[in-house]
Amino acid sequence: MTPPRADSADICLLLEGTFPYVSGGVSSWVNQIIRGFPEYRFACCFVGSRAEDYGEMKYTLPDNVVHLEVHYLHQPGDGAEHKAHDGDRVAFDKVDQFHRMLSSGRVSDSRNRLFAELVDQLGDGQGLCESAFLHSRASWDLITDHYRRHSRDPSFVDYFWTVRTMHAPIWVLKRIADDLIPARLYHTVSTGYAGFLGAMLKHQTGRPLLLSEHGIYTKERRIDLFQSEWITDNRSMVEKNNTEMAYFREKWIRFFQELGRECYQASDRIVALYENNRLRQVEDGAPPQRTLNIPNGINLTAMREVRARRNEEIPPVACLIGRVVPIKDVKTFLRAMRTVANLMPEAQGWIAGPEDEDPEYAAECRALIHSLQLDDHVHFLGFQNIADLLPKVGVIVLSSISEALPLVLLEGFAAGVPAVSTDVGSCRQLIEGLDEEDRALGSAGEVVGIANPEALGRAVAGLLRDPERWRAAQQAGIQRAEAYYTQERMFASYRALYQSLLNDGEAR
Amino acid sequence: MAGIGFELRKLLRQDTLLGLLRAYAYAGVIGSGPWVLSIIGILIVGLISLGVVSPAVAVTQFQVTVTYIIAFSLVLTGTLQLAFTRFCADRLFEEREDMILPNFGGVTLLVTLVSGVLALLAALFLFPGQSVLFRTVLVACFVVVSNIWIATIFLSGMKQYRSIVLLYGVGYAITVGAAFLLRGFDLEGLLLGYLIGQSALLSGMLVLILRGYPSKRSVAFELFDKRWLYPSLMLVGLFFNAGVWADKFIFWMDASTGSPVIGPLRASLIYDIPVFLSYLSLIPGMAVFLVRMETDFVEYYSNFYDAVREGGSLSYIEDMRNQMATTIRVGIFEILKIQAIAALLLITVARDIFGLLGISELYLPLLRVQLVATALQVVFLAIINVFCYLDQRRILVLLTGLFLVLNVVFTLISLRLGPQFFGYGFLLALAVSVGLGLWLVQRSMGRLEYQTFMLRSG
Repeated sequence: MTPPRADSADICLLLEGTFPYVSGGVSSWVNQIIRGFPEYRFACCFVGSRAEDYGEMKYTLPDNVVHLEVHYLHQPGDGAEHKAHDGDRVAFDKVDQFHRMLSSGRVSDSRNRLFAELVDQLGDGQGLCESAFLHSRASWDLITDHYRRHSRDPSFVDYFWTVRTMHAPIWVLKRIADDLIPARLYHTVSTGYAGFLGAMLKHQTGRPLLLSEHGIYTKERRIDLFQSEWITDNRSMVEKNNTEMAYFREKWIRFFQELGRECYQASDRIVALYENNRLRQVEDGAPPQRTLNIPNGINLTAMREVRARRNEEIPPVACLIGRVVPIKDVKTFLRAMRTVANLMPEAQGWIAGPEDEDPEYAAECRALIHSLQLDDHVHFLGFQNIADLLPKVGVIVLSSISEALPLVLLEGFAAGVPAVSTDVGSCRQLIEGLDEEDRALGSAGEVVGIANPEALGRAVAGLLRDPERWRAAQQAGIQRAEAYYTQERMFASYRALYQSLLNDGEAR
Repeated sequence: MAGIGFELRKLLRQDTLLGLLRAYAYAGVIGSGPWVLSIIGILIVGLISLGVVSPAVAVTQFQVTVTYIIAFSLVLTGTLQLAFTRFCADRLFEEREDMILPNFGGVTLLVTLVSGVLALLAALFLFPGQSVLFRTVLVACFVVVSNIWIATIFLSGMKQYRSIVLLYGVGYAITVGAAFLLRGFDLEGLLLGYLIGQSALLSGMLVLILRGYPSKRSVAFELFDKRWLYPSLMLVGLFFNAGVWADKFIFWMDASTGSPVIGPLRASLIYDIPVFLSYLSLIPGMAVFLVRMETDFVEYYSNFYDAVREGGSLSYIEDMRNQMATTIRVGIFEILKIQAIAALLLITVARDIFGLLGISELYLPLLRVQLVATALQVVFLAIINVFCYLDQRRILVLLTGLFLVLNVVFTLISLRLGPQFFGYGFLLALAVSVGLGLWLVQRSMGRLEYQTFMLRSG
């Protein structure tokens, strides 16, 4: 299928490694948003790492996606020999000056002005064009100078390629920005490279930029970078200091932080899913007056139907809905089930989610069930249709060590299932309420600390064994989901945002 | 010659005076071996035949014929020398040794065909006055000698230095012996002797190659595959060899300095003897050059690239760069020093040699000029070698091309200017090329890291 092409669009979505080529929470959300606004013509600008990292489209494109373009950030070099040239010393001095500002860690108007000035010189034939960065003497001198001044890692080749690899996408983004069809509003769903593209587009076109962040990009990257083995640490045993992060890892993290900061500075509005993330954005350089929260919303009608299928009894079933992977900390759930089973022998623990992502971890979990003698109590169900599953569940359990705004909790609430969750992401906000009015609805379950099976188990058993409390929690959950977390509410918030930004854009 | 370093370092590591001397001796013979042995060989054949072969002019005819065979075969195979060496080195680096022998077969086949056809055409149309035997032997000699150059490159690529030296020694002993025995058959006899010796040399090499490197395929032309062929290196080989022979050829052809010897072949008595004598002084310079370049230089060179690849610090990389530059500087000074000593030695005995050969002492100045030029030629070779290592093919083409053009132009001018300027054409061409080469070496070394990192995108 050839991607749709158009000359212009109303809203251009900047998508880094997500919809429509990667499935997941953010992608589904993008899909939901596009379908929720049939009155706007969307352009999708997908930015991936390398072509071979992606397969077929995972979503059918909605009809109002009038334009789709696909770009890859990491491209192999051309292998040709290049001519030596001096390069624009003045321009590279400015780059140096900009990096000094970065290391001071402060945002200021002068820094923003300098950034705009640098971005203006990125085009072909200008002082900071790609070939100047890749091949000029001025660029070489700057890189070696920074290596001598800053690098804590002795390996020059790794320093050099780290600098090159992380900066090279900037010129790819510049070309994307130059060639992108005109749009009335740019909407990026992450910071990172896509967010930086948004910042460039904003400077270039003057059109408004909207940022919606689900996770926090830099935080996710931090986890990626800690797990990646391709980042080398060349310090010898003597030089190594375990309190210090591998230098190149730190460099990457700081790079993404700065990309994020530029995006925050350029964005007209900055949307977080929930309060804690908003605070984190502000901490990372987002101007507070531009930030706001818009939580995800669920399809209430569908969930009401599911709720109608429940009977009056409270099933003695605690269910963890999610992939069997370490981040969900399934093992803590299993240990908690031991406590639950001790307190109520009839209790059942279900795990509903695919096991194929980390088979080794799944095998460990099965072994743990056996050694905890929970074979009669705990069952792996595999992937389940939520509409069939929820009516049979007594309490939804989330033992994760990291979450953003988990839709399963909201869907559970709307379907009449209270929850016990670890205190991560927005879980406390969802279960206990955010502002006073929200909190007045009551608690939809219980929040416990992470990696505390005893507490988790007692909370689950406590809820299941106290029908009165359980019913109160059920009602609180239903009311909270219906009042704050509906799809309609989310669409209304975005509609207001889109309209005001589009009007502002026209007025400029 | 890129692979010689390992063997030399092994010798140097013995750390004794004997080991050191042996290392230098090896280097001297390998670096200048083919050249010098050829010159000594034909001089000796000439000497032992004096007074035995009649007419005496047959000896000169023999020497001139062999000189042409060597010159033209070197220029002809020069196009393949560097390209084939590079092909072998690259495949060795990739550990695909199995590709090398079939391609050696391919190159041999090609060289045999081309040299055979060229020599046959020359024998058919250019030597109407000569016997059929002479013409047949001429064709055979040209083909055999052309193949010897290719086999030599192959064996040095395979680091078989000891065998090369041994085979050349035996080959030339047989040449001299056979020529001595056949000297009664005049020109044809001498040439037949030469053919027998050279054939023995080539056979020895081929036996060594085939025994040491069995292969399933015997002939392949992957060398000419676009992925693996460097046309620029073919140009460099051609330009360098043609450049080295250009001034000699011009002196042969010029009416005032050359005279016909046999068929269309001409020689220049006044130019040739000083030139070939001065080439004898090449031995010590080549030895120093090889030891310096192929051991010290290569050590820093590989340290440099290892540090670049495997994460050395920038200061270490720069240090290795500086060491490389120092080695080049020291090496060139040492070449000049040792060449100066060799030149002085030759000049002191030159008068006697000229007397012995019956050459007018008027040509002593030409010998002096040629000795200086020979020293520069060694330096020029060293510069070419450095740029081969740095893989700066554009500069290689520029330098060798310039050398060829300047040698032709300056030699023609020197001929116009008269006998007191003979030899200055070659000298000046080398001086300019060496001067430019040294400047380019300095510039390249000054920006080696910049170039390595920034100008070669991987």
